[in-house]
Amino acid sequence: MFSLIVTLIVVVMVLWIILTYNRLVSLRNQVQNAWKQIDVQLKRRHDLIPNLVATVKGAMEFEQDTLEKVINARAKAVSAVGVADRAAAENMLTQALGKLFAVMENYPQLKSNENIIQLQEEITSTENRIGFARQLYNDLIANYCILQEVFPNNLLLTFFSGFKKEPYFEIEAGARATPQVDLSLRRK
Amino acid sequence: MSITFIEIERQKNWRIAFFFLILLFFYFLSILAISLILWEVPEDKIAWFQRGIGVSIVAIIGAIVHFYFLTYEAVNTIRRTLGAKEPDPEDQLHKRLINIIEEIQIASGNKQKITGVVIPSLSMNALSALDYSGNALIAITEGLLSRLSREQTEAVIAHEAYHILSGDCREYTIAVSLLGLPSSFLEKMAAYGGKRIWSSPFYLLAFILLKLSLLLNIFISREREYRADAGAVRITRNPLALAQVLYLLSRNWRGTGLIGNGLEGLCLVNPQISELDESEGLKANLFSTHPPLQKRIQILLAMAHSSISELQKKTISEEKPLLSESPLLQENWDQVSDYLCPKCFSPLFRQSYEKTRIFRCQACGGTLVESDKLIRIIARRDNNWSERLKFLARQTLKENQINYIVKKTKKEEKNIPPLLCPKCKNKMARTFYSYVYLVMIDRCYICKVTWFDPKELELLQCMIDNSMGGDYSEVAEKLAE
Repeated sequence: MFSLIVTLIVVVMVLWIILTYNRLVSLRNQVQNAWKQIDVQLKRRHDLIPNLVATVKGAMEFEQDTLEKVINARAKAVSAVGVADRAAAENMLTQALGKLFAVMENYPQLKSNENIIQLQEEITSTENRIGFARQLYNDLIANYCILQEVFPNNLLLTFFSGFKKEPYFEIEAGARATPQVDLSLRRK
Repeated sequence: MSITFIEIERQKNWRIAFFFLILLFFYFLSILAISLILWEVPEDKIAWFQRGIGVSIVAIIGAIVHFYFLTYEAVNTIRRTLGAKEPDPEDQLHKRLINIIEEIQIASGNKQKITGVVIPSLSMNALSALDYSGNALIAITEGLLSRLSREQTEAVIAHEAYHILSGDCREYTIAVSLLGLPSSFLEKMAAYGGKRIWSSPFYLLAFILLKLSLLLNIFISREREYRADAGAVRITRNPLALAQVLYLLSRNWRGTGLIGNGLEGLCLVNPQISELDESEGLKANLFSTHPPLQKRIQILLAMAHSSISELQKKTISEEKPLLSESPLLQENWDQVSDYLCPKCFSPLFRQSYEKTRIFRCQACGGTLVESDKLIRIIARRDNNWSERLKFLARQTLKENQINYIVKKTKKEEKNIPPLLCPKCKNKMARTFYSYVYLVMIDRCYICKVTWFDPKELELLQCMIDNSMGGDYSEVAEKLAE
């Protein structure tokens, strides 16, 4: 009778370990996949920026400073490695681009140029995609960390290596400011 | 906590089973009736029993086949009924729609493939549908697409995507393809067929189906619209944009008469404007598919810490933005097309106009527009018309009103040789755009293209933008003279 109970407990323990381990592996892969998704979109943005710069260069001679900031920020973003560094570099790039778009408002001939409208649309879309991919990534990271840290699992993890806490893709304080909302129903 | 934003609702299979039972019952009755007409009525109980088994087997097979098409082809059927088309990547606003749908798919972790389509209509509405073969559809009308900013379009798509991702539009999609589509089809047929059709057995069928499709609304919880609004805000983090859209919709044509009676539950707002929708209480909760718009807007505004008076104040002072590019700007010229101008036979150029593509003759300035693009051009009311053009539009309208009435009363026919369609070389029909907006156009009904003489397209747009039609007062004076 006693041996039966012991066997039962051991079987349950083994099952629990297998299940937890598999869940961790599955989540780890989902996190990696989500990161790849962000990566794809970041790459897309980096590819779009030289096009934009080349198109607006001629008309914006007096704004060389702004353009250079964008180019430098892009160069930094392309060469950055690791989640935290990349997040920081991308935030710089977002800010530089935002500045550029704001300055572009002063050039009516740029605003009506079809090429630029299309490029701007593509860049806005890419930024949204990055945002959404980041939301997904951070949600997955949260789940992954919770699974690692809750009570029996953290004991279990002392036996397994290969699972570590992944960093969040964070937004800088500047970018976190409340966005300006335009209440009028006009088209932008 | 679910992995993404999406809380998958438990599938309500019993409702689907209920639809199957309705279908089975319908087939059983009709096949029994047919068998009684074709063969003699059985005499004893055993013969009745045999007949019953035979009829049941046929009915079950029929119902299963029908049900399969209902549940696996529903989305395609709905799409065909609406006449919706794939977005055109060359068109700036359509390209934006394609981008937004891809963005929303990323937000959901690419779990569900969503097809975005555009309904060629000036009304303002959007709808979503989902069936068992995993087809998901978001349809938006040209009218809505043209009048929304990017953030507002994102909000609409996120709302519809939430219906799809949470699966709460699936059972309704199936219900619609069972009862809604046939009833709206019959309704349209009756509308076109005049009075004759109402005396036929179709009327009875249409009537029964219409009443049954009303019953559908009982299954639809109004709560799901609140939930989808909240879901959209969670995806886009922008409650104001959605509130603006709903406010805009509350003051515009939402597709009454165009989107059939059976489909309203799938829509962003009910195309039929009904008092029931705007009220609360048991009856409204049972029979209405959409919660009061005002309440939806209030909830969204509360999320954005804004108020309805603020929204109204800003909306009323709304200005029509200028289109900075001139339609005839040289750099917008595009490549030469294969078609020749029907008037002066010089080649037509494909060029960009109102964010879409048209064919224009460089020599005479006439324009060839495909029907689906004409809707877009008219829907995009962002041109600031000059006083001269407004004056011209008024004059043309007046003149044509007189001509039209004189023609009607005296039955005079002027003989102008018809133009030949640049695409198929057949004769084009010369008509007015509509009897409210009297602009002479030449239409080819085979290729579905319209030819506008120089300035006529602009005149038509100007008339529609400024609602110039319908004023016959001066014409009446003139005729009295």
